[in-house]
Amino acid sequence: MIRFTGKKGQASLILGMALLFLITLCGFAFASGGGGNSHDQMLNLFYRILNFTLLVIILVVVVKKTSMLRFFGERRDEIKEKLEALAKERQTAESRSRELETKLGEFEVQKKEILEQFRAEGAKEKALIITEARERAAQLISQADHTIEREIQGATERLKQEVVEMAALRAEEIIAKGINDSDQDHLVDEFIKSVEKLH
Amino acid sequence: MTGSKISKRYAKALLSLGQEDGNYGEYGENLKEFAGLCTDNPEFSKVIGNPVFSVEDRKKVLNAVLEESAFADLVKNFLRLLLDKNRIGGVEDVSAYYTQLTDEISNIIRAEIVTARPLKDEVMDKLDVVLSKITSKTVKAKVEEDESLIGGLVVKIGDLVLDGSVRAQLEGLKESLKRGENN
Repeated sequence: MIRFTGKKGQASLILGMALLFLITLCGFAFASGGGGNSHDQMLNLFYRILNFTLLVIILVVVVKKTSMLRFFGERRDEIKEKLEALAKERQTAESRSRELETKLGEFEVQKKEILEQFRAEGAKEKALIITEARERAAQLISQADHTIEREIQGATERLKQEVVEMAALRAEEIIAKGINDSDQDHLVDEFIKSVEKLH
Repeated sequence: MTGSKISKRYAKALLSLGQEDGNYGEYGENLKEFAGLCTDNPEFSKVIGNPVFSVEDRKKVLNAVLEESAFADLVKNFLRLLLDKNRIGGVEDVSAYYTQLTDEISNIIRAEIVTARPLKDEVMDKLDVVLSKITSKTVKAKVEEDESLIGGLVVKIGDLVLDGSVRAQLEGLKESLKRGENN
């Protein structure tokens, strides 16, 4: 027994009734047209309508009995779920994209900051290196000045020593040549006087 | 150092005996004469001090010399004792220390005078007087000549050195000039 429940069932019933009404209407129209073999033609039409009706019923039964509707329903649900999932994924992807864009923006800012920081540190380091180099150069110059001064002093001192040595040697030669017994007596007297003072 | 200490002991022993009989001066002279003999005759010194030869042989040589000498018997026996004890090689040290000891007893001090030119007698007398004053002892001076002093003299008394030479004055002047003391 065929039951027409739900909206789909009612729609099928209405469709079936409308179809039957149209066929009947077509029969009446054909009959009112007149003709010789009207009985055969009506019978032929009746068979055809019956054949068609049976075909429709069989189709409805087959459709109802088989899982075709359920299959299509499930398939529709599945597609719907997939669409929803894809929509969610799309939203997630868009969210992720926005997030990545935000992060990319932040990275750009950080990159600029890091570059600025490195540039600042580089400039600072450069200034420090230059300052140290200048100080070191000043120290080297100072040391060189001191070394030169010491060398000059040393050379002056050595020259002085040599002059003194030569002068003393020359004085010794002159004195040795010029000294006589009278000088010796005078020297001895002076020595004796100096020794007496010790007492 | 050990040899020096032993020499001092022998010198003190001989001096002690000399002080007992009052002849320490004569003993000192004898000892100095024998030390001078050893210095002047190194071969004799080598023979009597060489342990390769027997003591008897060395003593015969020593006795032969001593018999010809006018040394006091005590000094002769002292020298034989040194030979017996194998200390005859240090007789010069013994003599030197003995002289030092006798000088202390006699309040004598030895001075070494080095002069550039010969000193006159009156100068030597003056030096004896003035050196005796500063040492409070009788000074016995030994004079040597050294032309390198240029002029003046140098007196050495023990550790005391009195330098009145021209060379020393020149050295002093030279050092002052080197230090930059121009005044």
